[in-house]
Amino acid sequence: MQPLTVEPSFVEVPVGFGTCKTVLITQCSYACVCFSAPELPILERRNWLIHLHYIRKDYETCKAIIKEQLQETQGMCEYAVYVQALILRLEGKIQQSLELFQSCAILNPTSSDNLKQVARSLFLLGKHKAAIEVYNEATRLNQKDWEINHNLGVCYIYTKDFKSAEEQLNMALQQNKHDMTYMMLGKIYLLEGDTEKAIEIYKNAVEFSPENTELLTTLGLLYMQLGKYQKAFEHLGNALTYDPNNYKAILAAGSMMQTHGDFDVAMNKYRVAAFAVPESPPLWNNIGMCFFGKKKYVAAISCLKRANYLSPFDWKILYNLGLVHLTMQQYASAFHFLSAAINLHPRMGELYMLLAVALTNLDDVDNARRSYEQAVQLDFNKCYSNPLVNLNFAVLLYNQGDKKAALQQYQDMEKKVNMLVESNSNTEFDPELIEMAQKMGAALQAGENLLWSKPGKESKNSQRSSSSKVTSSQQPLGTNQALGQAMSSAAGYSKSMQLAAGTVFFLLQEPEPDVESAPSPPTEPPGELEAEDDVEEAAEPPKAKEKKKSKSRTVAE
Amino acid sequence: RSRSRYSVVYSAVSSSKWLDAHYDPVANLYTFSSCIALADLHGDGENKLVVGDLGTGASNMKLKVYRGTGLLSENTLLDLPTGLVSFLMDQHEPCTPAIAVASGPFIYIYKNLRPYFKFTLPTLEVNPLEQDVWSQAREDMIDPMTLKEMLEGIRFLMLEPQDMEAYVNLHKQQPIRRQTVITCIGTLKKNMADDDAVSCLVIGTESQEVYILDPEAFTILAKMSLPSVPTLMDVTGQFDVEFRITIACRNGNIYILRRDSPRPKYCIELSSHPVGLVRMGKNVVVGCAQETLHGYTQKGKKLWTTYLPAPVTTMAVLDLPTRGFQAVLVGLANCEVHVYRDKNLISTIKTPDLVTSICFGRYGREDGTLIMTTKGGGLIVKILKRTAVFDDKDSAPGPPIAQSIRLNVPKKTKLYVDQTMRERENAVAMHRAFQMDLSRMRLAAARAYVKALESSLTPMSASLTEPLKMNAVVSACLAELSHRHICGVPE
Repeated sequence: MQPLTVEPSFVEVPVGFGTCKTVLITQCSYACVCFSAPELPILERRNWLIHLHYIRKDYETCKAIIKEQLQETQGMCEYAVYVQALILRLEGKIQQSLELFQSCAILNPTSSDNLKQVARSLFLLGKHKAAIEVYNEATRLNQKDWEINHNLGVCYIYTKDFKSAEEQLNMALQQNKHDMTYMMLGKIYLLEGDTEKAIEIYKNAVEFSPENTELLTTLGLLYMQLGKYQKAFEHLGNALTYDPNNYKAILAAGSMMQTHGDFDVAMNKYRVAAFAVPESPPLWNNIGMCFFGKKKYVAAISCLKRANYLSPFDWKILYNLGLVHLTMQQYASAFHFLSAAINLHPRMGELYMLLAVALTNLDDVDNARRSYEQAVQLDFNKCYSNPLVNLNFAVLLYNQGDKKAALQQYQDMEKKVNMLVESNSNTEFDPELIEMAQKMGAALQAGENLLWSKPGKESKNSQRSSSSKVTSSQQPLGTNQALGQAMSSAAGYSKSMQLAAGTVFFLLQEPEPDVESAPSPPTEPPGELEAEDDVEEAAEPPKAKEKKKSKSRTVAE
Repeated sequence: RSRSRYSVVYSAVSSSKWLDAHYDPVANLYTFSSCIALADLHGDGENKLVVGDLGTGASNMKLKVYRGTGLLSENTLLDLPTGLVSFLMDQHEPCTPAIAVASGPFIYIYKNLRPYFKFTLPTLEVNPLEQDVWSQAREDMIDPMTLKEMLEGIRFLMLEPQDMEAYVNLHKQQPIRRQTVITCIGTLKKNMADDDAVSCLVIGTESQEVYILDPEAFTILAKMSLPSVPTLMDVTGQFDVEFRITIACRNGNIYILRRDSPRPKYCIELSSHPVGLVRMGKNVVVGCAQETLHGYTQKGKKLWTTYLPAPVTTMAVLDLPTRGFQAVLVGLANCEVHVYRDKNLISTIKTPDLVTSICFGRYGREDGTLIMTTKGGGLIVKILKRTAVFDDKDSAPGPPIAQSIRLNVPKKTKLYVDQTMRERENAVAMHRAFQMDLSRMRLAAARAYVKALESSLTPMSASLTEPLKMNAVVSACLAELSHRHICGVPE
């Protein structure tokens, strides 16, 4: 006990007495007045200070105080040990923290907090079963605690016991609603593949905390996966209102804007994302395809090449690179990008079709034909089908003079179209595809029995429908992270859109030279040559334009 | 006139809402918001700053009083100050507030900066078995070793066996007591809401209890218990009428106590530890360790959440009753103090160091004074300009600045364009050349492999775990490329 130095006097007031019993204390030591033996320090006297530094994340000071406190109490101060263990865990020393929490549990076996932390450390060490046991023990000490239920639920997710996990998380929600619990519950349904139920959970979560951008983004991406673009856009838009820098929401919303042709708005959003995450492959891919949509092909290639540099094994980026190079009539380069994409993702019919287009332009008809055969076969095996593959093949066969095989492909295409119309009466086709198919049909003298559902509709609608058709084909990517999955499908979504538009474009290009019956050559893709006069790709000199123009003219002749 | 005393330094930014009145980076203060108060200690209409300084954290604890920019007085404290409040004990003239410093199990009351009173927390109940054993020891009916064995059944002992006897002899005459410590302190008006009304002290203890003390007799008027250890508290109302005590606890929950209920009435469960707790009108604003700021109603319903750019260090309320303006000051670990009205950030103050405590109120004769201490021990005094207007639109979220930053799209050179043109014209030839070269390379590789096989070099790995890797380096590639470039340009 420190002797009193300058304090002259204090009045001791025994509790319970209303009046002051004045006891004058001498200067030497006021402790002497009451006790003959030295006063023992109170074990918990600095707990508040430890806590204060801990919650302010001032861990260095906190550790110093804990050290002193533990020396003073010979390691008996439970709270000091507890916080030391918490800090050790934050520093990644999980095993050490576990041991300290266990000693806390020995010092005070009636506290469920100590057991909760023991279990948490076990969980972080990956010992989920042991963690579940300790949590159950903690439940016995403290029946009503959402945290225990929540963490038990998470443990059960890791042990793949989704039923118990669901039960525990629902119990946690009953006691107290937390965003985290909603997230976890939604994740379980996604792992079980029940998107509808997951959406239901996230809807409740958003209702409970309407400004949580993570929840809003997740819900938006899930709607997107289901093709409910209106709702998806609504939630993503909300997320962006609360946090305009939300990278995931920007990417997802941007890809939807791209689908609708709002390239400038999408670009505005992407600029924000590019500032926050400058090295994101999907972002640069989408920016590239934005430029592609705006017919600024050089900028598109620049951005796609950056995306490819950042993520060299992403077949989607390679696919887009192939597509853009085909547009630029750089068939040799397109061939390389497409074959790289096929190596990484060999089970996609459209990739082979694009490769075949490239090969056709490289005068390698035999390989083009093989590639088409592969494309048709892969496309046929799928639950959905793309009539473009058959139509393009038919055109090639027709140009080769193999009218019989061409007719066969044409009929396959008819079947696919009829199937699509039957399965969904709202299916709309790109007018360019319809036009080409009609020309082809006339050339082959095939029947007029093809019913395009609503040929009167404008291209704007059809573009959306064709893209949504392709999107629905996106198979789940198999990661256990709901967001990751939704993310990639979001990224894939934008690409699929480009795919649909792009293939039709090549469909136009390809048959040009030989289709005799075509009364006039199909129009040039508009704006291709005006692309480079924007500041963002001033590097393209005007000379290139002229050359392109002459080149395309020769094609038309 | 009063401002001249602070040697006002006008801020470099004229648009700033604050005047930099004083900054002493070496004031050597180690304190928290709970240990700072502004009070008219001498009844001369001039508020002083009272700081409970934790010293080094182990020694040199002081009660410091500042007037203007200078230190007015310093009193030594016996132990670490946990909390410090100024309150009116009685309404005797002259009406000067007393200072209560909570420290360990005691509250030291100072009047006119002189020690006046010491209150000790009631002792806790002692385990009856322990009590019994010790009383036996007092009458020497039990030897130290048996005592040790008996006690170990209850709790763990820190003593080594050889020290046992001396310890028992020394302490056996003492009445056995269990003492707890104060963790937070607040004030509650007794029966009038006026500024100069008498206030009770409200204290939270490590033993998870809350006591309300009578301001004159220091008797316990009320005792309430909590499910966890209180850390922060906010008190409103009057003891004799109705009051609410909002208490943040160490288990991460916030409890709301009301008159006539010995147990918490409402509970707010947070997902991370509360670091700051402030009342705004009828709502409670909580700053959490997870870099969030939440607003709750006084019944514990969540109203809003704001995400902060850095961890919270401390919080205080900015109250200007003359202008009818209230806001929350949030000290952040990124050396900024944010001013929030509800969920809207209305102003930001940059500080030279990390702020550890904030206090806003009347200092000297200036109503809108902001006092902050920093981690490095500095003291900052700022005065709110009388012309300063806080506008909600100040930082209304417009489009992010990044939206106007141009995209860094890699530029392409003329050479690239030329090569593009060349490829357009010669795509077929280039493709064929490539295929040819590729076939040749494959052929060469196959030949090399066969040759290796024939000369019994066994270019095969015996086990699958250690595959043999073949690395072919094509040295002609670069030459070919540059050749192409040369060809390309003249075209």
